Amino acid sequence: MIVQLVVPDSQLDSRLGRVSPVIKLGIAFAWLAGLALTTDARPPVFLALIGVVAAVTLGAVPVSRFARGAAPLAIAAGGIAVFSAVFSTHNADPAAVVAVALGPLRITTPALLTAVGLFARIVAIGTTAVTFSQTTDSTRLVDSLVRHAGVSPRFGYGALAAYQSIPRLADDLGALRASRRIRGMRWTWHPRLLLGLLVRAIRQGDALALAMDARAFGLGERTWYRDLRWQGRDLVAAIAGLALLVAALMLAC
Amino acid sequence: MSGSSFASGPSAGGASPGWRTRDIVITAIIGVAFGVVFWAWNVVYGAAEPIFAAAPWARDALYGVWLIPAVLAPVIVRKPGAALFAELVAAGVSAYLGSQWGVDALLSGVLQGLGAEVVFAATRYRSWSFPTIAGAAVLSAVAAWGHDWFLYYSDVSTDIQVLRGIAMAVSAVFFVAGGSVLLARSLGQAGVLDGFPGGPVPQGTRAG
Repeated sequence: MIVQLVVPDSQLDSRLGRVSPVIKLGIAFAWLAGLALTTDARPPVFLALIGVVAAVTLGAVPVSRFARGAAPLAIAAGGIAVFSAVFSTHNADPAAVVAVALGPLRITTPALLTAVGLFARIVAIGTTAVTFSQTTDSTRLVDSLVRHAGVSPRFGYGALAAYQSIPRLADDLGALRASRRIRGMRWTWHPRLLLGLLVRAIRQGDALALAMDARAFGLGERTWYRDLRWQGRDLVAAIAGLALLVAALMLAC
Repeated sequence: MSGSSFASGPSAGGASPGWRTRDIVITAIIGVAFGVVFWAWNVVYGAAEPIFAAAPWARDALYGVWLIPAVLAPVIVRKPGAALFAELVAAGVSAYLGSQWGVDALLSGVLQGLGAEVVFAATRYRSWSFPTIAGAAVLSAVAAWGHDWFLYYSDVSTDIQVLRGIAMAVSAVFFVAGGSVLLARSLGQAGVLDGFPGGPVPQGTRAG
């Protein structure tokens, strides 16, 4: 079933966990942009390894936990890599060396190399995200977005309030499936569940909005539970993240 | 001071005139619900790979599901920015729950949301006819298509790109535009959209 991600305090209070989420997000996006520049496999492999090592050491994320988070990557990366290899523009080039020939299928070496690079790119982008989500919780992320990145508190905390209702939505989904079963329907997974789920979600949202308005949400000066300031480690993390990206891209040259 | 959040007109409050707390929370919760759907759909999309082995580009007929909040939320709340906000929340939730696309889910979400937003903005958030909604869905798909071409399919030949684009556009009209209109209508009939411009149900027919 749907389980909301609960990040243990050991990971949140780790060295990586205490870095501002906005900085971590910024590094992840910088790496994404950098990786889009090259189809060479070496930079993404390097960055993916850095991501894993950083999560396990600086982030105190257990290896098994990290592996579970990263598992879906392999399927997606494999699918796109095969697609790219099969339909590559290089395959039409008669001068290119053929690496694989299966009946009418002709995959050339450059097509295969690009596919490997794409595979590594997707794994690297995904690994970075696992490192981020295993060392950041939703409240700290929104706090940081509002305080450090100028996101509107009404929209930021509105989204956070909605996010907190995931466990309830999961319960609702269970109830909707049980009601189908009790009516004698054989397939409890059905697209119609979506409508029921949205009805429950909107009702839940209405109650939430009413409660928030009752506390004068978004009106007047906001007070803060946690004092958030830029720290030295944020600067260190930003510089290290960019330096690692530059180092990774130099591997491709 | 703002009145009840259930007042039908736009009420004052904060830096975003026109957005009531209820608009924000409902847009966000549509995003959250679809974030969970995306998360499941990521698995379906991955598992569907062998089924589409003969024509892998046709798998993108499934793409539309990822674009629904960018159209459904604005159709209901009809506020500037609703497409972007809902799609971004949905993408963020799916990425946070664990998506194979990682942080790129966020980038995709922004682009897909902006694609739909541009069309609604072009009508100055006044037209909510099916052609407008379909146009928003298709432009959202075009944004996703361009993004994926650049990031994932840069080596793939153009004819296959065009086929992917057609599959995505059809999916956008069917799932996104059709789905959003049907969902908004059903939600209105269920009585949960009272006070929203997108859910007008004649007086007396509401189920309570």
